[in-house]
Amino acid sequence: MKSIGGMAAALVLLGTVQGAHAADTVKIGMVMPLSGWFQPIDASTINGALLAVKEINAAGGVLGQQIEVETFDNKSEPLLGADGATQMVAEGVKAMIVPSDFDFGAPGAFVAQQNGIISFSGASDPKFGVAGIGNLAYSLSTAGQAQGALLAEWGFEDQGWKTAYVLLDNTISYTKTLCGSFTERWKELAGEEGILGEDTFLNGDPSIDAQVSRITGLGTKPDVVLLCSYAPGGPSAIRQLRSAGVDAPIITGESMDGDYWAGTVPGLSDFYVVNFGSLYGDDTDPAVADFYRRYEAEYGERADVSYAQRGYAMIEAWARAAEKAGSVEPAEVAAALDTFRDEPLVVGPTTFTPELHIATTRPMTILKAEAGKFSIVGKFSADEVELD
Amino acid sequence: MGNLNPIQILVDTVSVGGLYALTALGLGLIFSVMRLANFAHAELVTCAAYAVFALSGQPVAVAIVASVGTAMVLALATERLAFRPLRSADQTTMLIASFAVSMFIQKLLIFTVGSRPKPVDPLPILAQPIAIAGAQVSLLKLATILACIACLGALTYLLRRTSIGLHMRAAAEDFTMAQLVGVRANSVILAAFVLSGFLAAVVALLFVAQTGFVHPRLGVQIVLVGFVATVIGGLGSLPGAAAGGFLVGALATLLQALLPAELRPFREAFLFLIVILVLLFRPNGLWPAPGLKERV
Repeated sequence: MKSIGGMAAALVLLGTVQGAHAADTVKIGMVMPLSGWFQPIDASTINGALLAVKEINAAGGVLGQQIEVETFDNKSEPLLGADGATQMVAEGVKAMIVPSDFDFGAPGAFVAQQNGIISFSGASDPKFGVAGIGNLAYSLSTAGQAQGALLAEWGFEDQGWKTAYVLLDNTISYTKTLCGSFTERWKELAGEEGILGEDTFLNGDPSIDAQVSRITGLGTKPDVVLLCSYAPGGPSAIRQLRSAGVDAPIITGESMDGDYWAGTVPGLSDFYVVNFGSLYGDDTDPAVADFYRRYEAEYGERADVSYAQRGYAMIEAWARAAEKAGSVEPAEVAAALDTFRDEPLVVGPTTFTPELHIATTRPMTILKAEAGKFSIVGKFSADEVELD
Repeated sequence: MGNLNPIQILVDTVSVGGLYALTALGLGLIFSVMRLANFAHAELVTCAAYAVFALSGQPVAVAIVASVGTAMVLALATERLAFRPLRSADQTTMLIASFAVSMFIQKLLIFTVGSRPKPVDPLPILAQPIAIAGAQVSLLKLATILACIACLGALTYLLRRTSIGLHMRAAAEDFTMAQLVGVRANSVILAAFVLSGFLAAVVALLFVAQTGFVHPRLGVQIVLVGFVATVIGGLGSLPGAAAGGFLVGALATLLQALLPAELRPFREAFLFLIVILVLLFRPNGLWPAPGLKERV
């Protein structure tokens, strides 16, 4: 790490000499997976961000300067993110966008932090911020803990469900956070006996027969099953649950956003997912519905996940803060970002404070699938969120 | 804790065990005739699954024939292009070559079809539960068990009753000796690859019918566990591979079913602890091949 830091510092010096760019442009870096297995996960984040750049530039830019995007492909290798960020520093960027996952985004964000540059991510881990990376790292996501609490409150209060079964895909940290925070909040609301059982599996398991049999063997059927997983293991788990006759509603978090996997479960029904907005043309917030129309017009296809909103909001937040600060210098933009109080961004009203750079009680969207078709249920926010 | 129906546990255990047995057998066939731990077997499974995906919408028989064909042709191609030139090289070289083939095909798939999992549902009729003695059992699991029994039976017949089977068994026991008495190396090895391709396609079909998706890394997990199975079964022994595969799959399911909730996240740790214990007491596996020398 030290040698990387040293190298980065050397490159900064180089960058300040070489990076004498024209005063009418300002550079933003994009250190993202443009190829490899992580590429489809962040593809709509990148498209969203590029759409924001295009629209802001068309409207005259930021403080009269056009935004210029520099890209680096991390090839889906987290550690290459550090190389990419170092290169971006040398290019003289004022802020950079890193992948939507703490493990993937952190290597680049650390380099950005060390060089006094702002980094944006869609990571749902509050460590992507002041507590983990530093005061210049901002996440446009909603904390995983908040998503779990939101699902518990919505299920108990709005849906009237009393008993839940928790099925955790023990492979990544987001799913553990989601199930953990849901269980904690659900027990506060429904009592200890509100959880009928908990079980785990791994995303690559060829079969979750034993886990499914444990649910079908329950004396009382659960009102709802919380599934904390992601594609392909998550959809496959739903398929196996449904084909074994488990017909309880299934709820899950943003990691199973999108309908690209829906064909895995024949006639997917009674399935609820929390995400950032409806990309199916029926969002109740006109700004979001309009955003997805513009997205489709620009790229000729619908966004496949709602991460597109996070990508757009990264550039939107940065530009808004720069205008407020009257400067594109990172320290001043960061100070302006920290004054955001329910700032209306395309991802929802966003608050940043000097201590916390991720949303917790911001409303999120719940979508429902019926016969394989998704539609919006509404926008909900968590009342109580505990970040550990 | 929910009360588990013993019949349900039995069906779960046997169907998962059967799937791993077929995987381990596909690996064991290649290992027994040419001492190659073929990691590219995972990609045979993956590509067979993609063939099913590519032909979804077509009659299921077409998709099945295509996926079996794909896996067999790919198996033969890897033998001809990657492994035959290295046949006289040592085992480590071939092992590395199989890694290279595996990585190459995986990256090629990501490059051409993308890494997003794609939905596929080849046998929708099997996706329904039926009741047996009070237990809810999915039709697919019964089909899996039947398919595994059929494959094992057919393979046993082939190895015991046909001349190519005799040649393969002879080659497995002592390859040089078999060659000296007139067994043709190429035909035996090609037959082994064709059979392992066939088994990979069967595994792929049962796997996608269960999970409902294809993905460039689809075969990796199951083949990795298949390897562990061939090692504890006894490297180079075909009955050992099948039994080892069954044992590992069944153990994983039983551990998941019977461990208390707090310990279930560590299922893999328990599974591999048992594997280590087996190897401590039986370093050549439970049913070692007679031709395999004691390792020093």
